[in-house]
Amino acid sequence: MDHDLKNLGMPEEKLFSFHSHSDLESEKITAPRYSYWQSVFRVFFRKRINIVILSLLAVVIVFAYIYPAMTDFDPYKNLLDSASKHLSPTAAIEHFGFHIEYILGTSGSGKATFDAIWNGAQISISLAFICAAINMTVGVVVGAIWGFSKKVDAIMMEVYNIVGNVPYILLIAVIVMLFTASFWSMVFALTVTGWLSIAYFIRTQVIIIRDREYNLASKCLGTSTVKIAMKNILPFMTSVIVTLVATEIPSYISYEVFLAYIGLGISDMSLGRLIFEAEPSMVTPGWELEFWSPVAIAAIISVVLYVVGQNLGDASDPRTHM
Amino acid sequence: MGKYVVKRLLHGVVSIIVVVAIVMVMIYSWLNRDLVFSTDSSYNRQSNNTRETYKHEKWEKFGYLDYVSYQEWLNQLARDGELDEETRAEAAVLGRKPEADSELTEEYTARFREYYESQGYTVTRLDAIVSGRKLANGGQQAMFAAKDKPLTDRIWNYFTGLVSIDNIHRAEEVQGERGLTFTWYDPVYGGTKFSPAIIGNGTYHKYLLYVDDQFPFLHQNFATINLGVSYSVNNGVDVFNTMTRSQGSYVKSSITYPTGLVEDSADDLHTATYMQGSHAASALNQSRFVDDYTIVDTVKGGFSKMGYSFVIGIISVVMAYLLGLPLGLLMARHKEGVLDKLGTVYIVFIIAVPSLAYIFLFKAIGTSLFGLPGMFDMESSSKLMFILPIVSLALPSIANLMKWMRRYMIDQMNSDYVKFARSGGLSESEIFTKHIWKNAAIPIVHGIPSGVLGAMTGAIITERVYVVPGAGNLLTEAINKYDNGVIVGVALFYAILTVVSVILGDVLMATVDPRISFTTKDR
Repeated sequence: MDHDLKNLGMPEEKLFSFHSHSDLESEKITAPRYSYWQSVFRVFFRKRINIVILSLLAVVIVFAYIYPAMTDFDPYKNLLDSASKHLSPTAAIEHFGFHIEYILGTSGSGKATFDAIWNGAQISISLAFICAAINMTVGVVVGAIWGFSKKVDAIMMEVYNIVGNVPYILLIAVIVMLFTASFWSMVFALTVTGWLSIAYFIRTQVIIIRDREYNLASKCLGTSTVKIAMKNILPFMTSVIVTLVATEIPSYISYEVFLAYIGLGISDMSLGRLIFEAEPSMVTPGWELEFWSPVAIAAIISVVLYVVGQNLGDASDPRTHM
Repeated sequence: MGKYVVKRLLHGVVSIIVVVAIVMVMIYSWLNRDLVFSTDSSYNRQSNNTRETYKHEKWEKFGYLDYVSYQEWLNQLARDGELDEETRAEAAVLGRKPEADSELTEEYTARFREYYESQGYTVTRLDAIVSGRKLANGGQQAMFAAKDKPLTDRIWNYFTGLVSIDNIHRAEEVQGERGLTFTWYDPVYGGTKFSPAIIGNGTYHKYLLYVDDQFPFLHQNFATINLGVSYSVNNGVDVFNTMTRSQGSYVKSSITYPTGLVEDSADDLHTATYMQGSHAASALNQSRFVDDYTIVDTVKGGFSKMGYSFVIGIISVVMAYLLGLPLGLLMARHKEGVLDKLGTVYIVFIIAVPSLAYIFLFKAIGTSLFGLPGMFDMESSSKLMFILPIVSLALPSIANLMKWMRRYMIDQMNSDYVKFARSGGLSESEIFTKHIWKNAAIPIVHGIPSGVLGAMTGAIITERVYVVPGAGNLLTEAINKYDNGVIVGVALFYAILTVVSVILGDVLMATVDPRISFTTKDR
């Protein structure tokens, strides 16, 4: 060894430099750079099906939000034209000439089914998103506190048992009768107790992780409860919350359709109301399209939102990031 | 365990009372009470003052308020012996205006006003409405006192009146001696056939205990349940009766009436109840009955509302467990296999697609591809019409059970005991059916009581789509018709079922899995 160094013909000072010991440097951990959300999207887009579903979602969003704004839909345009009622697609195109709005025919009041379903989709999607946003926010916050505090747990369990037993339909009906059957009173009706079940779900999840060893250790080291909740528990639950959102959003669309069908829906022309009004047409030969188009759109929207949410939920689980 | 169940039941009773209180506040205090008349045709026929008094009478029947008319008060005074008949008749005549009252009337109206206002009532005097010199239609003068019922009274009365026990002093006047008689030979069957019965005289029901060929064969009328009287859904009938009374067309058979008259009729003599003076009032009743127990139900061919819902519900629940659990097990067993993928697609379909959409889809497929009847017809004897509603109800619960079964099985598959069993040389199918299945089924068991009891409440959409005359639509129908009595009754019924089924679920779970104990407090 000594011999080899001398052969290089360099003095020792040039070959080696003195490095002092540094506490700071020794604490550094060398690992590949990891960004949580970047990994989430990397895993999400690794599945080809997700790209297909996302583009389908984009199409739905464009039709539901941009298309109605461009076309300026008037449901009563053909009300006085007696020849425009219950037309099949071919008859409608014959009657009005070829416009995209008539490719699904017309309904009993002469309105173009194609335009009507996208207007309805806009209302239904907005309702679902707003309700989900409110319920998830309130539900997650309340659920986290509920799971942490035993005192709150005792009170909230009683509240949950009581409110859970008040028939949901009755509550919605009373709110709709008290106010008007408008969009915002429906949002109120769906959120006034809707957060409770989400909070209950989150509470159960919090209780499961709350007493794990790493949280106990964290607590022993003096971490504050808020920090444990924010840094130790919430990241653990991201995938659970995303999965929950994925089931919640379609459920509001479904619920809106259900309420409209039993006659408690909103006065706006949502998908549910379209289905409710077109129900008699379902049994009439030749008119079925009026009924099935809003049903199909509601189904497509729900499925797309659900699949995107589920796969995003899978991808947001860090254990899949390997 | 017993102590724990009792504690849970008490908790449940408290929450049920609070639920009923909330429902009562919602419908009695928040909603506009004029809504109850929206489907009442006789309300629209009334006008002016009679409409006003009619409104108050109805509101009293609905439990909104206490209402006493001036005439009723005078009658009560006369009955108590404070007034003789002549004075009563004279005092009862109100003038068209307060100034036109006679002296006696003036004295009594003043007393009436003083008496009720001191008790917090609002006393209203309506002057006669005249058109020209004649009274306008319904323009009679009137006077009454009314007071809104406080919530506490309403709840107290509701719960104390929930179960009424029949006794021999219920009827006002009876012929013969009041009392109960026991017989081995029921007179309804001619008095020769062996059939034990208890017959009351002075009670509200004539037959307090009897046997017949209808489920549950032995019937009693000692205690009756009053959930709340309906107004617009099924006028004057209790919610419990509305749900349990048979429907459809009359089933006639040869009936021997108490007078000995034999006739082909659908009357069910076992249901006879008392109504004062009904025997004397009608020649038909005199030809048939010997006393005032003349109000009888009829025998009908169909099931009751709850019966239809329960038959459809229970079969679909059984179907769901028989299919959902094995399918979920197979999905977990061959994870990532073809069946798992198909099953997942099916589960996603059921969760994501609005329930209304897939029920209509099933209906369309069932009627066009399999030629099954898509409409329910009570008069038809065909059992085929049950198939589509049962299938429509079962398919979503199959998906739900598959989803959870698969989840629980997969969670269990990585447990240590499974690895141990495998290292011990057990075959895969043995591990799955004997070890994992038993552990995974524990949380599933919890849902069985709520599935079975929930079948009684019926399914709203399914019953509507297939026109099933079941109990599922009762609540929505009551809401649409503003029938407060039915709403409260149905809400109570639902709440009881939920509370009981959750407790039963816990008990069942603890029975299946001895490790689960509710008595220790730690979790």
